[in-house]
Amino acid sequence: MSVAPPGESANCVRGDLMAYATLSLISIFCAIPFFWLLIASFDGNAQLFLRWPETWTFANYLRVFAKEDGAKWLFNSLFVVGSATFLVMVLSGLGGYALSRTRAWWKLPFLYAILLIRVLPSTALVVPLYKFLLTLNNAEGALLRPIFGSATRDIMRWTGFIDGYLGLILVLATMQLPLSLWIMKTFFDGLPRDYEEAALMDGATMIQRIRRVLVPLALPGLAASGLFAFMSAWGDFLLPLILLSSPELQTLPLGLFRAFLRINEIDYGLLTALAFIYLVPAVVAFGFARRFLVQTFSGGVKG
Amino acid sequence: MAKTLQERRAERQLMIVLLPSLLLLLAFVIYPAIYSVYLSFTNEALTGAAARAPRFVGWRNYTRLFNDAKFWNALFVTFVFVLGSAIIGQFVLGLVSAIALRRRLVFRTLFSSIILLPNAAPEVVAGFMWISMLAGGDHATLSRIVSFFGLPTADWLQVFPLAMIIVVNTWRGIATAMILLTAGLSTIPQEIYEAARMDGATPAQMFRRITLPLMMPTILLYMLISTVSTIAVFGLVYALTRGGPGGATELISIYIYNQSFTAYQLGYGAAVAVIALLVSLMLGIAYVRAAKVEI
Repeated sequence: MSVAPPGESANCVRGDLMAYATLSLISIFCAIPFFWLLIASFDGNAQLFLRWPETWTFANYLRVFAKEDGAKWLFNSLFVVGSATFLVMVLSGLGGYALSRTRAWWKLPFLYAILLIRVLPSTALVVPLYKFLLTLNNAEGALLRPIFGSATRDIMRWTGFIDGYLGLILVLATMQLPLSLWIMKTFFDGLPRDYEEAALMDGATMIQRIRRVLVPLALPGLAASGLFAFMSAWGDFLLPLILLSSPELQTLPLGLFRAFLRINEIDYGLLTALAFIYLVPAVVAFGFARRFLVQTFSGGVKG
Repeated sequence: MAKTLQERRAERQLMIVLLPSLLLLLAFVIYPAIYSVYLSFTNEALTGAAARAPRFVGWRNYTRLFNDAKFWNALFVTFVFVLGSAIIGQFVLGLVSAIALRRRLVFRTLFSSIILLPNAAPEVVAGFMWISMLAGGDHATLSRIVSFFGLPTADWLQVFPLAMIIVVNTWRGIATAMILLTAGLSTIPQEIYEAARMDGATPAQMFRRITLPLMMPTILLYMLISTVSTIAVFGLVYALTRGGPGGATELISIYIYNQSFTAYQLGYGAAVAVIALLVSLMLGIAYVRAAKVEI
């Protein structure tokens, strides 16, 4: 680097100042809405408006867990999204490997198909999806009722397709699959085949090859695939809105949304605390995912 | 080409490990997409006589659609929403941020982290925060900012609903624009700028003559991607306005939801959904071709 002539450096300083000014304005715009959430959640008498609390307190956060609902929503979200993420990691790991290594005719059509699936708006799919899940659910109910009688509803809460954990987990996982398959396929493309071929020479079976060779090698890719699946499923509002109705199954976004609709009896302290708890995992995951963002957005279609 | 026995076995195993993913996608994406085309030709409903015995009604849902002022309103609202937030708002602010962040600034990481933050917030939390920002009365944050500058306040979501959801969605999407455009900027060789500076070009000239033309492919891809993903926006706006007041923010996605799950008209909702699917699919195909995605 050479020393810039005097006129140039003045130009450079002015440019830097302009950059600071615009970035500060944009940052304020981006950050302002978060203030209310953060401050009100520690306010003993929280309101809908941003205000400086007279008393700072942790009581709102304690109430989230003392009052049963908040803790239940949190558990439901963690369970449903956790299961879906795990499922996506397993399926995309296996499927991405297959898509990377296969030489079969279906490779290209499949890859184009998952690219195009990502552009389909999920709002346009939920109507037929709901009908289809309702049919599956009724069939399952008809199958289980003669066997389990009145206990059927309790079982269906776990295994039902509508208003049950299983249906929501499967659908949430499926919606994340195209991106995750794409990430894993790209990841395996970058892994040399030598390791597997060596293992194959040694007479390792498919299962052994996956467990001993591929899983350890694929961990960074799986982390990315899992992070994106988690973020997207964690933030999703539409699917729980359509698939869940029982209060005891509600996930965080749904619980928050419905609690907020009860205009007259809103406990802003509790809700902001809950919203903040809901926000934290998303932000943490986003922080971890940051270094993958560029490749993912430019490689596929943004999700 | 004779394949060895071992190769064929390996291929079969690959097919088997891909099968669960394939089945899930077929069951919960492909089948519903095809089924929605079928549903759009029936009078299927969620409750009532039509729910028990849906009939085939031909093109009736589609003719109804073209005469339905609320459908055209939803299309219009979606168009303005995409244009205002994705094409203009997110793009301009994202490009400005991307260019400014190319300089070696002290708080570079801090700035980019803050700009990424709205993108990380779940839809409902984002909606929740903006309800507080935009609420009526003089205590809401926006009203306070506005009155600080001596301007009149308003019940923002009631008076300027469409403008407000455009602001909110812009807020949420600056980060994605910034990330994509940063990637595009980094492909422009620095030497071109050096040479232009030697020739005495002003920053404005360099932006118009170098940055913009060389960024055109990236910008085009960004426009396609963000249009598709903005058409799909639902939760953020639904949590804020639920389409109201009086349909002023009823995006096509909210219209589908309201027709299907509030008015229980599944067949009609499906017809609207088919239109949305077709538009998205065409944009998606354009993207895949323009991006020359490497497979």
